[in-house]
Amino acid sequence: MKRLWMGVRKRLRGAGELLAKIWAHRQGKVGLIMVTLLVLVAIFAPYIAPYNPYDVSQRTTKGLPPSWQHPLGTTINTGQDIFSMLVYGTRVSLIVGVTSGVCIAIVGSILGVAAGYLGGAVDTLIMRIVDIMLVIPTLPLVIVLTNVLGRDFWIIILIFVALGWTGLARTIRSLVLVLKNTNYVKAAELAGASRWHIMIRHILPGTSHLVIMSTALSSAGIMVAEAGLSFLGLGDPTAISWGKMLAEAQSGGALLFGAWWWIFAPGLGIFLAVFGFMRVGLVLEEIANPRMKRTSSVYKLFRSLDSSYVEEVFRSMDDYQRIGVEGVSSGGGQSRGTGLEA
Amino acid sequence: MKLSYVIKRVLYSLFVFAVVITLNFFIPRIGVEDPAERYYPPQGNMSEIEYEIVKQLTREQYGFHVSTWQQFLNYLKGLAQGDLGTSFRPGSPKVLDLIKERLPWTLVLSVSTMLIGLIVGVLFGVVAAVKRGRWQDTLLLNASTVMVALPSFFIALVLSFYLGFEWEIFPAYTDSTMVSEFAWTWEGISRVARNAALPVMSMMVGSIISYAQGTRNAVIAVTNEDFVLTARAKGLKRSTIRYKHILRNSLLPIVTSLGMSISGLIGGQVVIEQVFNWNGMGTLFLEANQTNDYPLMMGIMLLLSGFTILSILLTDLVYVLLDPRVTVGDKR
Amino acid sequence: MTKRLLLLVLVGALALPLAGCQTGRGSHRPDPNTLYVGAVQSSFPSAYMPWLSREGIAPTIANMLYSSLFSYDEETDRYLPSIGREWYYVDENGEPILTEDGSIDYARLEEIYSDPQYDYLAVKVIIHQDITWSDGVPLTVEDIYYSFDLATNHALSNHAGALAWTSDLKHKYNNGVLVEKGLFTYERGALEQGYHIDPAERDYVIYLHVNKVLGAVTPLFTSVLILPKHVWEPVVSRENQLNSSSPSAELLYRYTHPVGCGPWVLDTEQSGSQQIVLHRRQDYHLKKPDGSPLYGVDTIKFILYKEQNVALYALLKGHIDVLDSSVSSNYLLLFAKEKDLFVSNAPGTFTQTLVFNLNPVASERNPLRDLLANREFRKALALAVNQDELIKNVLDGAGVPASAGLMRPSLTDFYNPEADSIVPRDYAQRLALANEILDGIVPDKDKDGYRLLGGERISFKILGTPGEQDVVSFLQIQFKKIGIDVQYAPKGAQPESTYLYTSKFDLVLQGVIFSLSNVDIMYPAHFSTLGRTSNYGRLVNEGLNAAIEEMRYTLNLNRKYELLKEIQPMIAQEFYKVPLYTANVISVARTDRFTGFQVVEGSTVFNSESLQNLRRVEGR
Repeated sequence: MKRLWMGVRKRLRGAGELLAKIWAHRQGKVGLIMVTLLVLVAIFAPYIAPYNPYDVSQRTTKGLPPSWQHPLGTTINTGQDIFSMLVYGTRVSLIVGVTSGVCIAIVGSILGVAAGYLGGAVDTLIMRIVDIMLVIPTLPLVIVLTNVLGRDFWIIILIFVALGWTGLARTIRSLVLVLKNTNYVKAAELAGASRWHIMIRHILPGTSHLVIMSTALSSAGIMVAEAGLSFLGLGDPTAISWGKMLAEAQSGGALLFGAWWWIFAPGLGIFLAVFGFMRVGLVLEEIANPRMKRTSSVYKLFRSLDSSYVEEVFRSMDDYQRIGVEGVSSGGGQSRGTGLEA
Repeated sequence: MKLSYVIKRVLYSLFVFAVVITLNFFIPRIGVEDPAERYYPPQGNMSEIEYEIVKQLTREQYGFHVSTWQQFLNYLKGLAQGDLGTSFRPGSPKVLDLIKERLPWTLVLSVSTMLIGLIVGVLFGVVAAVKRGRWQDTLLLNASTVMVALPSFFIALVLSFYLGFEWEIFPAYTDSTMVSEFAWTWEGISRVARNAALPVMSMMVGSIISYAQGTRNAVIAVTNEDFVLTARAKGLKRSTIRYKHILRNSLLPIVTSLGMSISGLIGGQVVIEQVFNWNGMGTLFLEANQTNDYPLMMGIMLLLSGFTILSILLTDLVYVLLDPRVTVGDKR
Repeated sequence: MTKRLLLLVLVGALALPLAGCQTGRGSHRPDPNTLYVGAVQSSFPSAYMPWLSREGIAPTIANMLYSSLFSYDEETDRYLPSIGREWYYVDENGEPILTEDGSIDYARLEEIYSDPQYDYLAVKVIIHQDITWSDGVPLTVEDIYYSFDLATNHALSNHAGALAWTSDLKHKYNNGVLVEKGLFTYERGALEQGYHIDPAERDYVIYLHVNKVLGAVTPLFTSVLILPKHVWEPVVSRENQLNSSSPSAELLYRYTHPVGCGPWVLDTEQSGSQQIVLHRRQDYHLKKPDGSPLYGVDTIKFILYKEQNVALYALLKGHIDVLDSSVSSNYLLLFAKEKDLFVSNAPGTFTQTLVFNLNPVASERNPLRDLLANREFRKALALAVNQDELIKNVLDGAGVPASAGLMRPSLTDFYNPEADSIVPRDYAQRLALANEILDGIVPDKDKDGYRLLGGERISFKILGTPGEQDVVSFLQIQFKKIGIDVQYAPKGAQPESTYLYTSKFDLVLQGVIFSLSNVDIMYPAHFSTLGRTSNYGRLVNEGLNAAIEEMRYTLNLNRKYELLKEIQPMIAQEFYKVPLYTANVISVARTDRFTGFQVVEGSTVFNSESLQNLRRVEGR
């Protein structure tokens, strides 16, 4: 029991140290503040928003411009307060983004470690699946799946996770292949530790920095993807999200009526959320690999590896691209965001 | 050795393609017992017997009266003959025909964006690399961090609002006569250019920054390599070093990822096309989704996947050919 | 040097679109004699299979290119000439059954045909003599015979024939073999049947046998578009059916180059996936009383817009004259600011109702739904619906309350006000009554005021499209007043087959239209028949079924109208499909080039009356 408590305390301390490191970093400060702010807004939404946009009785005149009662005016099609919608939208975006990010991290890291360490049939199977999923265009597949499986909130998260784990799995796998050969692990093997033990106690922690970083980055990417999906009208119809606000703005005729604030507000929301998470993610990357400067960090790491992995590596880097890592070499044409293009 | 690698890669690609075809066929059939359900007319005052006859006729018409396995074989047979299926649209047009009609328009947007991104981006990237640490470099860095967080469709909305509605410089929505009255005349082409301006502008910033960032990093990385040091030591002119050695080698990763983005060219940016009402592959897919037109949806998916596989394969092979350092051990 | 190059490239990249900026400012309705119509669809059809065109703009176009025998006037329950000029019920000798003043003698009709030897009614139709197809060939009754014959022969027409609604015609095929003959022309058996036709008139007279129902002629007269025999007979066969998913080249040519006898002709050269061009036929046989052409424009050009806002933008900018789609009331503000606009705020015909799943199949029953089976429970819910509030909040006032008997009050001859007098008008009274009823069924409430069933809060899901979320939100407020919780649930991809036909729902929003022309089909489909019909809740009420049956089969028109009136309160009493509102149809047109747009109940401003009334504005 005491061992458990000690273990938890050690983890907490480790987390605390990490946070301190992030804070120490100049840009980490910015990112951390933004993320914290967003989380607070999401949690305390009912207190921050002047109206409850889910409550039908609180709707008023449609199409009002910004005023003191309605800082961002009201929507044209329903008469809801736009500022309140923005605040409540934080919840949806954050929940979808963070949940998906965390789940992707879990699934991706487990499968990546399994593939890398266990090798053989497991590796082949997992990598084949990754290859196949890589080939199918993401956004059309998401659209088809929402058509077939439904557009419920949790189904959409499930779809994102199911499509998003591949990039992380690949990267983790490459790292694991390196870790596998370290003395540390070899010693544990010789000592007779079971494969599970090695995977969980030795390999997995070794990838932790990558996993945490990926959580932050993929959360950011998923938020953009969810916004895009809601914008196309394929997201959860009952949830107020920023993407849906943009869609309603466009279909409600914001452009025709000249209500530019209706468009800028959710856009700003998306920007802040994604920017904040990405900052945190990139800072985490630098903390994890202090040798690397921002400049050619990832490229340098992999360049130092045996060249037979280069082919592999370039593939992984493209996946990095997909989760929006800045500073990755080998420019990417239209690969931005989470491969939102077809 | 290289030949065996090539053969292995090709076979592997075929395998992936086969799996994708199978997935493509079965995904829309998830949870749907009778795919022709949707096409049965309402019963009205037909008797039960009459109605059963009508249902059977409908099933036969769409090919659903045979077993699923047989449907799959028919599908494969069709694919072998280049038939991607028949759309459920009235008039039953072939999926391939619909795609052929829309594809050029998507290419207009995506190729323009890619070209602009490539040319401007690479130049920018080189400048930023050379002037590392100075304002050009910082500008690029800040721009890229901002751009990644801003979704392209938001930029599209803003552009269409200001440049389109408010100031009326470009048309906010695509004029449908752009397609219907298209001709290879100055007027026809300039109309296309006008309508394409806003979509391309929305996508171009991201594209430029992507290529710029990539080029910059590649150039910097290569600059630090040994052989450049050697060249400098040899006393070669700076410009020679710059163009012959650095640029050429740093372009390699860019070419690689260019190959990978070919399928993106064809699929187009779905959301941007939707915002501007541009009739390309993206909107075709959305239309298919709205009307539950499964053959069309799956036809497009198959096409895109096929192209991706092809482009990955070609990129791999080109890469192997170009970079002799890469040994082709199959470490998968 | 790189800097300069960079600059050059950037300038070049921007130059091309800007160059296009000056020239070609887009077409702003160049042709003075063309009406530019915006249509909001996902796509335009490339082919017109007249009976199969169900989606998008295809039915509209098909109805302009082709004609049916007659068109129906709702106000008066009469048939107006189209291809047909006159029609009569006839006796066994082919003599019209008329009263002295020339109207249908229903008493004698009933007398003659109640004799059980007749399982049909005999009808005689006389068509106009000067009709030609758009390729110049004259139209005769052989075309009519061919069309109906083909529709009933599924071996040749596949399910296109089924969609032509000919089930009330007593002319049947079984697998390509004629088993019952119900069509008679001079050359095809009229004389044998005993119907005399003067040889001079043989191209213009046809007799039909229809089901012994007064409404049987309606779909046959008004919805079956007549096809040219000389075009289709040579190509349609068992191998090459009329409705073919892989049509032969000849068949495809006929789909894409339709030959019809309607007032408009398709311009196949100019029509494509983005626009459809129709030209007015100079030789159309129907004209205005003074002999001038029936329609006021020579050409109509439909332009495709994917999205309504895009189309509205085009309208406001002057790219199109009129928008053939209804817009929501939010846009009225926008229209008020513009000049040269004609806004049509027409009363609607489409009633939105809330449907209860009152008799689910055994596997879908649960304690909550058992509540719905209780008529008093449903009555309480119906009482809590405040139509005026819904109209005010959801429609911004652009709508009217609907009758509980689901017949439009504007059809004064057929509407029965009794259907609406079974519940009080005053909302406060209704709420009190509803609460009283519910206190007797489910008295327990939780702390928020919602009623409990077995300790659990009663909560129903209302299925609807995403656009109907608003309605559900306001219903939530209204039902809260009687302590019932309702939630919105999205309809899913194929709601009929996945939820509605299989009883997998609690409540659902359904739009209905009942009018004289369709009650014979609609009443059974909505309230009697079980199966793949609109009777989602599977209502079984013997009394109602009997009344509907009698209404359909009575040959006495007066009795029919009587029953129609009696049925409305019966429907209202069931509280099965509770009306929510009838929304107005709001649409808009520009008046800077054409004037004369007409407001027609249930239609957008682009309707037949407008087309007949249009005049060019001078000097534009």
